[in-house]
Amino acid sequence: MTCRRVPAAVLTALGALAAPLQSQTPPPDIVQERSAYAEWLDTAPGSPLAAVAQQPIGPGIRLGPPDADVPLDGVGEHRVTERNGIVTLEGPDGARVVPAGRPIALGSYSVASGGVAGRRVVTVYGPSREARTADYYPYDPKLVFVGPMSPPEQPGTLRVLALDGIETEAAEAGTVVVPIGGRAVRLRVRRIPTGIGDEAELEIFFRDGTNAKGTYPAGRFVALVPTGDGRYRLDFNRARNPFCAYSSAFPCPAPWRGNTIEVKVEAGERYLGGGLSAPPGGLEAR
Amino acid sequence: MRAAVAMLALTLALPARRAPSPAGEWRAALDLAGGELRFGVKLERRGSGWGGEICNGDKCLPFSAVSLAGDSVALEMADYAAAITAKLAGDSLTGRYRNVGNRGPRVIPFRASRGRWTASRGPERLTGRWDAMWMGDFGTSPRVIELRNGEAGLEGTIISNTGDYGHFAGQVKGDSFSLAHFDGSYVYLLTGALGGGGGTPDTLRGLFHAGLRTQTPWIAVRSTGGPHLKALTENTQADTTGPFRFAFPDLDGRLVTEGDPRFKGKVVMVDVFGTWCPTCHDAAPELVRLYRKHRARGLEIVGLAYEVSGDTAVDRRQVRRYREKFGIPFTLLLAGVNDTEAAAATLPQLQGFTSFPTTIFLGRDGKVRRIHAGFYGPATGAQHAKQVRDWEREVERLLLEKREE
Repeated sequence: MTCRRVPAAVLTALGALAAPLQSQTPPPDIVQERSAYAEWLDTAPGSPLAAVAQQPIGPGIRLGPPDADVPLDGVGEHRVTERNGIVTLEGPDGARVVPAGRPIALGSYSVASGGVAGRRVVTVYGPSREARTADYYPYDPKLVFVGPMSPPEQPGTLRVLALDGIETEAAEAGTVVVPIGGRAVRLRVRRIPTGIGDEAELEIFFRDGTNAKGTYPAGRFVALVPTGDGRYRLDFNRARNPFCAYSSAFPCPAPWRGNTIEVKVEAGERYLGGGLSAPPGGLEAR
Repeated sequence: MRAAVAMLALTLALPARRAPSPAGEWRAALDLAGGELRFGVKLERRGSGWGGEICNGDKCLPFSAVSLAGDSVALEMADYAAAITAKLAGDSLTGRYRNVGNRGPRVIPFRASRGRWTASRGPERLTGRWDAMWMGDFGTSPRVIELRNGEAGLEGTIISNTGDYGHFAGQVKGDSFSLAHFDGSYVYLLTGALGGGGGTPDTLRGLFHAGLRTQTPWIAVRSTGGPHLKALTENTQADTTGPFRFAFPDLDGRLVTEGDPRFKGKVVMVDVFGTWCPTCHDAAPELVRLYRKHRARGLEIVGLAYEVSGDTAVDRRQVRRYREKFGIPFTLLLAGVNDTEAAAATLPQLQGFTSFPTTIFLGRDGKVRRIHAGFYGPATGAQHAKQVRDWEREVERLLLEKREE
């Protein structure tokens, strides 16, 4: 780590002095968030557990017949194209616009678009979904930090995969320094658009000592939340798996440079496998 | 006697009394991470059911459905697959706004009390057209803010290069204002103040809130009437037509390049992978199958591993284990550490590289014919079968291309 001095910009732990007896009880907002997420995974048309395919549209792709780019049982020939950022699905019944993130029906399947204009992708969801849900470590109040964010060393934008495996234009938002495992760990923060209006999340894609040993091998995402007073809250209990943890319909985002926490961050979403193979022997050699 | 009858009627009515009615006007708010977004809600009985509207100032939109079950109120906005659900207790409603986001549910705390937000007019020094700059992480970008006084007090519009943000309405206090636009999908709050943050009196400064957590500082000066909004620049597409070059050590430390005799005149699949990447694990058996089937006809495969530790000995051990697990007979090279920038830096011809695995198909002349990001694993069923057929065809096609002398 570059930062051994603990500068003014370090995030301080919230609840580090909390009574140990309280430590396992998540606060109501996290309970509510998790139950909303479980319900979303279970019921949302765009749940990753229902996804069967995600493909770049490029010059156009075919859906339906067995020899199509995306073969779909019982679905006739359809073509998906992107023009000026608008995604259109054309089939025997005419043409329809495929909205971003809001699946429209196609036989027993549904189709949504996503991604940036000129490089949009389609995601196809099937009629059934895996009966799984997210699993979490016990709540740990010592893994909640509040503090400032420092400006990025190199401001700029870049293309990254968001946690849904869709390429997006992200911006270097800055860095935060977290005192964890006896060290001050600097983590890179990027602003990633949500696809809804001007909304964007400050995200940290990080790896830690639990990867492949309790958490998803490729790392996890955690949002940095503004507290309204110019500071930010980083709550590792809110760490989430990328969608490739739920289905190989999604590509895995490449981990971000630097964002490695040597110690185990035993908080947030766990990975219990299911449908995907984990690396042999995990990453214990680290 | 009359009084006694009235008392009796009241007593009899008590056991049948239902939860209080939500009918009427509500001062509603969404609690964003950095402020309160105020809007109006109107609810009324319609026949045997309920109806209502969501209002920004005096501009209202109907809810697609309003339902009441006990003390639970649901206000639906079907167009956006969104709803406000709240518990009614006396003169307050408490709950949440929720809709279906792309990466999970989008939930924002909601509350309301009976009544109507008071209308407040803005002073003349606030109204008019302002040339604003949004100071975002993505750089600065121009907006035009128009402020005016309407029936419901100060209202306005924000215009960008690509369109407008809808109707905003809200409150003024001195030289400060807070204007909101919430239509059931877009959650926007514009706060600002004249001369805020130590600026000159003819400068407006503030924060633009989008959704629960996005806050963008902005600064504006009074418009001179000149053009302020500009056209957006387009992203350029990646060029993938050049010959593909690489030079990395193998697991014994020997440098291997694309010029190595083992690749000469061959069709080459370059597998950019990491042992940490589960989707790469799904792809490995298929690569092995293709290699075994087509090697004699001139297919070579080279795996470029982007690993975790950056420690060569550790990474080498990890990749060896991967090779053994899948019985990989083709060349594996240690290309670097597993982050996008590292991969992009070591493979400069891969512009826009973002995902693991990425498979690059090279013709017998060593030039890139096709790049495939990701891999559908066996769990995807038909997509997997399709991908396998597709790769098979691509390899067949490339093997039939004429050899370059």
